[in-house]
Amino acid sequence: MDYFFFIDLVQGFADGVLFGTTYALIGIGFTLIFGVMHKLNLAYGAASIGGAYVSLIAFLGLGWPPIPTFAISAVGAGVIGYVVYFCCFKFTPVRHPLAALMASVGMLLFIDEVIVHESDGMPQPYPSVMDHAEITLGEIWIRGDLIFVFLMSVVSMGVLLWLLYRTRLGVATRAVSQEATAARLCGINPDRINASTFVITGVLGGVAGAMIGAAVGVLSPLLAVPVTVKGLIVAVIGGLGSIPGAIIAGLMVGAAENIFLVMRGITERDIYVMLLLFVFLVLRPGGLFRSASSQH
Amino acid sequence: MDFYLGLLQIIGVHTLLGLSAYIVLLTGQVSMAQAGFFAIGAYVAGMCTVMFGFHILPAILLASLLASLVACAVGFPALRVKGLMLVVATLAFGEIVRLFFFNVHWQVERNGAMVGPEGPEGFRRIRYFPENGWTSIDITAFIWVIVILVMLALWWMDRSRAGAVLRAVGHDETAAQSVGINLTAVKVSAMTAGGFIAGLGGSIYAHTTTHVEHLIFSVVLATFAIAYPILGGLSHVMGTLLAVVFVQVFLVEVLRFMGDWRNMLFGALIVLVMNLRPHGLLGEQPARMFDFLRSRSRREETHAAT
Repeated sequence: MDYFFFIDLVQGFADGVLFGTTYALIGIGFTLIFGVMHKLNLAYGAASIGGAYVSLIAFLGLGWPPIPTFAISAVGAGVIGYVVYFCCFKFTPVRHPLAALMASVGMLLFIDEVIVHESDGMPQPYPSVMDHAEITLGEIWIRGDLIFVFLMSVVSMGVLLWLLYRTRLGVATRAVSQEATAARLCGINPDRINASTFVITGVLGGVAGAMIGAAVGVLSPLLAVPVTVKGLIVAVIGGLGSIPGAIIAGLMVGAAENIFLVMRGITERDIYVMLLLFVFLVLRPGGLFRSASSQH
Repeated sequence: MDFYLGLLQIIGVHTLLGLSAYIVLLTGQVSMAQAGFFAIGAYVAGMCTVMFGFHILPAILLASLLASLVACAVGFPALRVKGLMLVVATLAFGEIVRLFFFNVHWQVERNGAMVGPEGPEGFRRIRYFPENGWTSIDITAFIWVIVILVMLALWWMDRSRAGAVLRAVGHDETAAQSVGINLTAVKVSAMTAGGFIAGLGGSIYAHTTTHVEHLIFSVVLATFAIAYPILGGLSHVMGTLLAVVFVQVFLVEVLRFMGDWRNMLFGALIVLVMNLRPHGLLGEQPARMFDFLRSRSRREETHAAT
């Protein structure tokens, strides 16, 4: 292993950790919905990318600057999140989770096709900020837009944790996820908590979608499935239902992805990331942080 | 006429794909890896006939056996986790297979031309049928003989002790375990059988289209695989066939005039059907199936209520 290869590895690691925060956000979304409803919302990744596409209307159509565009993405994905809840989860029977799973897959295909239809399947440019700034640390240089992505993601996580641990809504949400019956006895309406969880995770996903767009520079309908798969891997490695697990796993997957990119090239990168998932399934099936809600 | 024969061939291949997911679903497991086994069948069978000059039958058999071996190997680690984790694990496995074939370059020279899988360009010229003078009618008959054999086998299995065991596991794992059923063995054998059927479907598919590439075996195909039995309902093998006919004939062919709106309609229709008939088109399946996906708290709640 020569010197330049080592520098490449460190560079890849740094970029990967910064970009990994977006995977962490998507993973948190999957994990949070699983924690509250014990169901998997497979449309979540597509909804996040959908939010970013909504904001593209503001950016390309109305010429808005990047920061308000990102806000529109969050709002748009929040709305899509509620639509997903209403269409796929509200009316499907609680006793039959497969119906909700399948419905969310249908929603994934639907959102994906709407995006393809509206954008003619072509990649679209997406704005970013601080993309000319960079920090140089010896041989390593760190892109300014990635630092912005990192900071935005960390702030979103902070807001989410504040919401979950410092507000009445958060107390109610955690109560429902721990013990739905007891929460209902305390006068909490689980339906409203479920809906609000979908909106909150939707907003989070919208931020993630916008940040992915900002870091990559383009939005493409081809992003929806990889984002879904990566988000699920993050949620499972972190332990379904565990937020700290999802954050750490997100950074880990981001870093691993870039290290494999340096070592094995772009076409083989994702194979190794997914093998990483299998390593975890064999050695630590509960994930990094086995949470109370994933033990069944 | 050729159009209708082609449609029948597509229905046959997709029925095999759906049935491969059906048998796994009977045990209450959701496998998104069926597209991966389908891809293994397609590539291996293609290699056997094109690169090594096999007859079609041993090629299909070998490819399906290999797919079932892989399914068995995947079954063990993947089935250590239950329910929703399995969805994620199998989804990742299907993507691994797809990316593997995206990276495979292995060509040999036969009759003066280089043949074999060529990475992103896919595997071209799997021309066993035209080279050996099979007509469309021969091919269609060949496919449907296999489909009917598989359906009969599954129908017979469903009525036998094996079917009862599979459904018992899907019904209530704890109860099944308490009467002495080995859960791992049952789930892994269902997975293996599913892999075999998916391999059959894939190997036939490769020979009817003559060209396969990695993009075909994406998550979308895996979704189709589990969508057929779920849309059709798990009460009977015919449900899967019904769902395939519904999707391939009605959604794909009758609605062809709608252009790319049709794809949107497909997603929306799955959502609609799942809301109106959550137990599938053919109706109610054995009650309390997929119990494993429910939370422990809810299970205790029902136990307390009864």
